[in-house]
Amino acid sequence: MKLYISESASTSYENKVVLDDMILTKKLPTSAGSRMLDGYMSLFDAEIVTKLEENGYEIAAKANVGEFGIDLLGETSYYGACICEDGTLTNAVAEILKRKEANAVVCFDVNGAPRRAAAIGNLTYIKPTYGTVSRYGTIPAACSGETVGVMANDTSACRKILSIIAGHDDKDGTSLPEETCALLKADAKREPVKKIAVAKSMLASVDDKTKNLIENFKAKAAKCSVEIVEIDALELTAAKTAWNILMSAEVCNNVSRYDGIKFGYRTPKYEDIDELYTNSRTEAFGYLLKSTILYGSDALSTDNYRKVYDKALRVRRVLSEYLYKVLAEADGILIPACSKRNFTEAEVKTNKYISYDESFYTAPSSITGFPTMVTGGVQIIGKPFSENSLLDMALMFEKEGEES
Amino acid sequence: MRYETVIGLEVHVELATESKIFCSCSAKFGAEQNDNVCPACCGMPGMLPVLNKRVVDLGMTAGMMLNCHINRVTTFDKKSYYYPDLPASYQTTQWFAPICVNGTVDIKTSNGEKKVRIKQIHMEEDAGKLVHDDWTDTSLVDFNRTSVPLIEIVSQPDLSGAEEVVAYLERLRDLLRFARVSDCRWEQGSMRCDVNLSVRPEGSNVLGVRTEMKNMNSISAITRAIDYETARHIDAIENGIGKLVQETRRWDDVKGKSYPMRNKETAGDYRYFPDPNVMPVVIDDEWYDRIRKSLPDFPEVKKAHYMEEFGLSEYDADQLTQSRAFCDVFEDAYAECSMAKEAANWLISDCASILNKKQQTFDMLSISGKALGQLIKLVKEDKVSRGNAKRILAVMFEQDIDPEEYAKANGFIVNNDMGALEAIVKEVVASDTKSVTDYKNGKEKALMALFGKCMKQLKGNCNPQVLREMLIKVIDNS
Amino acid sequence: MNKESLIQLEKLNKILLSEEEREEMLCFFEKQSENVSGLDAIPTQDVERMVHVMPMTNVIRDDVAIKQFTRDQLQEDAPESYDGYWQVPRLVE
Repeated sequence: MKLYISESASTSYENKVVLDDMILTKKLPTSAGSRMLDGYMSLFDAEIVTKLEENGYEIAAKANVGEFGIDLLGETSYYGACICEDGTLTNAVAEILKRKEANAVVCFDVNGAPRRAAAIGNLTYIKPTYGTVSRYGTIPAACSGETVGVMANDTSACRKILSIIAGHDDKDGTSLPEETCALLKADAKREPVKKIAVAKSMLASVDDKTKNLIENFKAKAAKCSVEIVEIDALELTAAKTAWNILMSAEVCNNVSRYDGIKFGYRTPKYEDIDELYTNSRTEAFGYLLKSTILYGSDALSTDNYRKVYDKALRVRRVLSEYLYKVLAEADGILIPACSKRNFTEAEVKTNKYISYDESFYTAPSSITGFPTMVTGGVQIIGKPFSENSLLDMALMFEKEGEES
Repeated sequence: MRYETVIGLEVHVELATESKIFCSCSAKFGAEQNDNVCPACCGMPGMLPVLNKRVVDLGMTAGMMLNCHINRVTTFDKKSYYYPDLPASYQTTQWFAPICVNGTVDIKTSNGEKKVRIKQIHMEEDAGKLVHDDWTDTSLVDFNRTSVPLIEIVSQPDLSGAEEVVAYLERLRDLLRFARVSDCRWEQGSMRCDVNLSVRPEGSNVLGVRTEMKNMNSISAITRAIDYETARHIDAIENGIGKLVQETRRWDDVKGKSYPMRNKETAGDYRYFPDPNVMPVVIDDEWYDRIRKSLPDFPEVKKAHYMEEFGLSEYDADQLTQSRAFCDVFEDAYAECSMAKEAANWLISDCASILNKKQQTFDMLSISGKALGQLIKLVKEDKVSRGNAKRILAVMFEQDIDPEEYAKANGFIVNNDMGALEAIVKEVVASDTKSVTDYKNGKEKALMALFGKCMKQLKGNCNPQVLREMLIKVIDNS
Repeated sequence: MNKESLIQLEKLNKILLSEEEREEMLCFFEKQSENVSGLDAIPTQDVERMVHVMPMTNVIRDDVAIKQFTRDQLQEDAPESYDGYWQVPRLVE
């Protein structure tokens, strides 16, 4: 679960931050849940690591993730999934927070695994607007949408860490200007959340427990004078397919660097260069990653590019424009973070594509780069740079929970 | 049956930048293996590409020199294939919106003048280098060249044989060197070329089967390869010898033959897609105009100008316009001293010979033209002798100096005191009566010996003509 | 997608699936193909593709060379290296 632990971590719980294992550190290895990078030592720190350390935080440990962050339950990690006593899958970062071993966890949100983890663990998680937190020093998987996010036991800790790591970075060509990133600082001006739109089409196949969480949210909203409206939001149901195309293609391209030549795993069984490549990759990669690579490669092929990849890029704009339109009227869109909470190990073994199916709930924010927050087991997508408004609302709901 | 050869070229030119295209490693040639490398350009995860501005400047410059249309919005794409010299297993290049399209290059051959159309120019990163090691029987990978910025200049199939190809390549090389886009050194790999060739019956408008010869790295090899490949195609068409298939071939210049390539880049689909990490480049009017204004005149325009405006001989003008560095120094020197012929002489004979001794190309001339102009003035005004001026010039190659101050500080100023000169000459004449007698007996060489002794005494700080006259006067009077 | 083209795709990506995995993969392709057809319901002929979700232009740096890493550091983790080079089986061009 905690894959690599810092020997020197000595400070109090308040100053300890855990990173998921997609974020590079000089002091601790980074494996991205893959045999390919087992024990890999980076020559440099991620920008967020530098920022955290400059602010007196200590990287206490690295937490296990699914291979290259593309699954949603951590089920594809080379080091094994994180399994609860009842045989259901949990997520390493959520467990660490539940046991209060760190104040916050900084995650790399490739396909939404941290959102699912936060929903199941009843934690607060914020995935900020794309481009507001530097990706310098993260293991690249699906660069056009992946974002660094923060998870914590409570909203204040979440905000504190986000406020530190948000900011422009010259080393990341997609990093937004400083004045834009500054909107995420804890003391930045913001508008309160007044209206939340519930996306009905996204609720069709969720279990009862998730339905209850949605109702809980509505109840708290009523108490806090946040208006709830309902929208169909059929558009959002297309996000999964479009995002899977883009993500798979980018993953295929990004993991092509792992070939057994420069660093990482090299097969002992090879006669020539082609065997060196093929055996190294075949032995080191798990099935879901292989499947993603092949699907992504096919989406980019000359025959399919227009029909598949180019189409997905256009659907992305349709979705982005749709979100802007809805969020001109409302301050957030409420959707689930997952269809059901607990998958068993057996379920995951029989259906290797559970993460593909479950990305139905995470894809809308991943593909558009809009910020999203998980609180009380549900997900609220906000307008770009409205992170503080979302966190204010979560804080308000937290207090409401304590009082009631 | 008579045949014609149809050739299109893809010319790769490494750009003259300090750093690589997407990371800050040095782009300089000649470092020890894997010395100019960082995690980004050896394929390690986590660093993100940030585009080098100079690459766009030079891409645009190249396009303007080749009469291209400049795409005001230009983007980068990823191209995927596996090969050990490509550390990320993808190359960042331009596929959907290259920086330049639709240009022309004028060439002259024995068939007359011709316009070669340029299809496009795109910016991309270079791959690394492989060394095949016999001792270990392995291949060794050097990533110094990985991510060095390149432009690829793609011509239309407008060339009809080796002579035109050579004329085209030399013209490209002249223009790009002149605009300081690249040093275009074949021997260092900063200019390389892929040759696409097909053969068809003369007059036919159907193209024959095309083969591509990759990574040609010298004009002479290209000439031989084109002749060989043309003959091979004709042979195959006429006699069915060796099936002609569309393929990538490798030219073996030692054996004088081409072979089908088995490995590299023959594996089909490159799966291009837009790079999510590199934002589009938008060239506004201000940027466009700045580059446009920085363009040099074409070499032949400069040459004509030098002849008409400055009265230089065709030979001198031709020599100077071989290199942009020479032109720049010449123009700066002329602006300082207004003596075109003298400036040209100093460059063509003195500067060239120093560069030769240092085994440097003319493009590597880096002295200040203004200082050269000052030096020429000092000589013209008889303040420094030509011999000492040459010494000062040699120093100018090593450091930035003010020639006059340097001359003063080092005792190189001509002594114009005729009395002092006469005294020294008298002293020398008195000390060497044998030479004086020899001279008086008709031995011209004896005068030279005396002249040399005087010059030595004077540390060269004397106008030779004045010294000679003084010497004869003193001897006559002795 | 059929088995033959899947094998080609594996070759292109330097991956080898087992027969069992191939079966599974082919099912996945079929399912995805249906999903992709589903996207046809969204008209996009007049929509521009969106590569970057937060649009910016001209993110560029000055041409300055900086040396930050040594060869030894970079090759510390190399599976095989020789005389400052990364080493691979001999290539035939």
